Amino acid sequence: MSVRRRVVVTGMGSVSAAGCGGSAAIAAALASSAERIAPLKAFALPDGPSRLAAEVDDGELMTLLDADAVRRLSRICRMAVAACRLAAAEAGIEGGARLGLAVGSEYGDFRSGAEFFSGFLRRGPGGLSPMIFPNTVMNSMAAVVAIAIGAKAPSVTLNQATVAGDLAVARGVALIAGGRADAVLAGGVDEIFLDVYRGLSALGALSPMAGGASEGCRPYAPDHNGPVMGEGATFLVLEEMEAARARGATIHAEVLGSAWGGIPVAPHTAPVSGRDAHRTVGRALDQAGIGPDALGRCYGSGNGDPALDDWELQLLEADGIRDPVSLAPLFGQHGGLGALRAAAGTLAARIDGAPTLVHGIARGGCRAALVIGRAA
Amino acid sequence: MTRVVVSGLGVVSPYGAGAKTFWAGLATGECAIRPLTVVDTEGFRSRIAAEVPADVLSALGPSRRRSRADRMALAAAREAMAEADLTPRDRMEMGLFVGAVGGGMLEGEEWYCEEKRGRPSPRLRALRSILPVSHAETLAWRLRLGGPRETVVMACASGAASIALGADVIRSGATPLVLAGGVDAITRICFMGFNALKLLDPEPCRPFDRGRRGMSIGEGAAFLVLEDADHCRARGARALGELLGAGMTTDAHHVTAPHPEGEGMIRAMVDALAASGRAPADIGYVNAHGTGTPQNDRVEALALVRVFGEGHVLVSSTKSLVGHTMAAAGSLEAAATLLTLQHGLIPPTANLHDPDPDVPFDCVPGTARPVELGAALSNSFGFGGQNVSLVFGR
Amino acid sequence: MTQKEVLDELKALIVERLKFDPRRAAEMTGETTLPKGLEGSLGLDSLDFIELSVAMEERFGIVIDEAESLTDEFLSLDSLSRFVLSKVK
Repeated sequence: MSVRRRVVVTGMGSVSAAGCGGSAAIAAALASSAERIAPLKAFALPDGPSRLAAEVDDGELMTLLDADAVRRLSRICRMAVAACRLAAAEAGIEGGARLGLAVGSEYGDFRSGAEFFSGFLRRGPGGLSPMIFPNTVMNSMAAVVAIAIGAKAPSVTLNQATVAGDLAVARGVALIAGGRADAVLAGGVDEIFLDVYRGLSALGALSPMAGGASEGCRPYAPDHNGPVMGEGATFLVLEEMEAARARGATIHAEVLGSAWGGIPVAPHTAPVSGRDAHRTVGRALDQAGIGPDALGRCYGSGNGDPALDDWELQLLEADGIRDPVSLAPLFGQHGGLGALRAAAGTLAARIDGAPTLVHGIARGGCRAALVIGRAA
Repeated sequence: MTRVVVSGLGVVSPYGAGAKTFWAGLATGECAIRPLTVVDTEGFRSRIAAEVPADVLSALGPSRRRSRADRMALAAAREAMAEADLTPRDRMEMGLFVGAVGGGMLEGEEWYCEEKRGRPSPRLRALRSILPVSHAETLAWRLRLGGPRETVVMACASGAASIALGADVIRSGATPLVLAGGVDAITRICFMGFNALKLLDPEPCRPFDRGRRGMSIGEGAAFLVLEDADHCRARGARALGELLGAGMTTDAHHVTAPHPEGEGMIRAMVDALAASGRAPADIGYVNAHGTGTPQNDRVEALALVRVFGEGHVLVSSTKSLVGHTMAAAGSLEAAATLLTLQHGLIPPTANLHDPDPDVPFDCVPGTARPVELGAALSNSFGFGGQNVSLVFGR
Repeated sequence: MTQKEVLDELKALIVERLKFDPRRAAEMTGETTLPKGLEGSLGLDSLDFIELSVAMEERFGIVIDEAESLTDEFLSLDSLSRFVLSKVK
């Protein structure tokens, strides 16, 4: 059995309602308490009680991209390329056969799917755009990022509600630990598209759920009443530790433990009684060689969805962990949020020695746990 | 080193329900590509597909509220789980890796059409099942699976990627068991999109034929129970075959066209062989990606020559029989490869009358070929240049 | 239609369907080359050409046989305009 391959973080990049940039920009966004959740600007305000979102500024996004080079890229692909370029530049990493991708997304490129299908509804078969069709498959973001960066190791796209970013980081760690890559750009991306927003609102999945009091994102609070949608892309550069050291990379933190599991509950539910027989958090802590008391903090995936918040608190309590912190009020719920949690854990490791637990649980039971701390 | 075996197999294919039905169709070389009925094809150049027959679908029950794709996935998964015969405790540890692309999009499209016509539709609930992840949620719940769960979207390679990634998780020691596979139902977007790109043949596809003009689409589901070999032996279960290794690469070249020299395809096959501890000469058969497009077959043949040498391996395309089943393709074809090894019989390439001289391999035209095989390789090369090669042994 | 009219329509299609910046249309002339790999060209690849073909079929009411090799016809806006005119007649 060969020596275990350790995984470190050597860079990060983010595009979100809080702005765009690498670790400095992300740190500033985390430290600032500025409100990014506001009434939707990109679309005419929909009917129904939900009006809020955390939107990316398109002007700022385009300053990161060459308009000609990205002319064919859909908006969600542009976000993914921008964030990955920022992360790769910060890490000083180049493409090649050993650089992989792990991209998590909740909704993928629905906009392109709708645009493509609308062409048919308006003008029949002649109205279909061949150019848009490839974007209708959720792996298009990974495909264009791989081309933009030259990533030729596996590029994996994962679809999952709430914890897509967490899963992508866990998958990136597994690709490196298993020897399929020496470095992976891992993270998540989603954009706000009106049809999806309206659909979720009609399903009662956004704040104010069940017609509750004021609309807003209040995770774990007594008056929590649902998530607020956000958008953006956040990616970390994960790297095999010896390879990172050999090339003199800046090592921000180490992923000391990584595990994911699934609690078999009915789809779309979050029953407080659901127990994790797979010991997802316990496994991650065991890999890190620590107990829950050694943790400095926990970033949780709770986003104001009352049932999900409550379930997460129960599950963490059973694992001996209390007072998780949510980043949803800063960035809104989207696929990049799990990667932002991992980024926050990475930045915390630069400041103090106590590791961070990045925890995620979704309706339907998908669960992930990362332990991030200083590289020894 | 952990060895990964297959201890259960389940299939829903255009031939019908069940792995036996699937094998019967493959062995007789029956082409299941027929006029498409599940969506309106008026005005399109190619109007055929390999559909799962309507009576098979309705027999799949239990609930008609579930999406077409969900029902196929559940039936195939249940068959695999029944064969593996696991305890509830085993299931609690078991991982779930699902390759999916369309999800419940067929039903979502119906909702969208109604919406745009201004008719609020009772099918709003279909929205919840649109996404690819919906299958994993259904399967984990119905089968009580408590291990690591992942929905992999890798276009045409999704069903193979789920198997490769699931096996990786077993090798990592996180769990001794994984249910891995893929599913896709026909959707309007898929049918219209490949038509718009002019990648579909108006007649049933002819992989490796000199006159080939494009793909035929299909639908289906296949799931494998992957298991740590020691764990399988310890509980006295039978292995149907072994997953010797897998290679996964990305072309990073173009969103629809493969690298012109098959660079990523070659690396995927070479990596899979290396991971399996096998040399090209040990492989008696390649289950090709073989879509029937002029471009794919030419580039795949180039790549096969580079890896195996001209004429040094038998090749056939399952897609000539059951069409390109999208996210299910990688797992349906993994199932076909396992069954090929089991039976010592290579399913033919259908509609192959004038072999392309640029494809210097015996592609087993028309009739299945009995051959004793020790190991075989299955290719899945996804749109966007995402490549997976799987090596199976007996 | 005159060749100039066809040229202007092609420029509009390229902007609209291939998502070029509208300001680029002003710079495009008959001599502007199209395929990727030619210096100073618009840098169109196979996917762009399929999209453009479909758009041209719809806009001009012509049929383009994808089995035909049309490398010369798609070389520049001039050659493409002439090709369209020959199909329309």
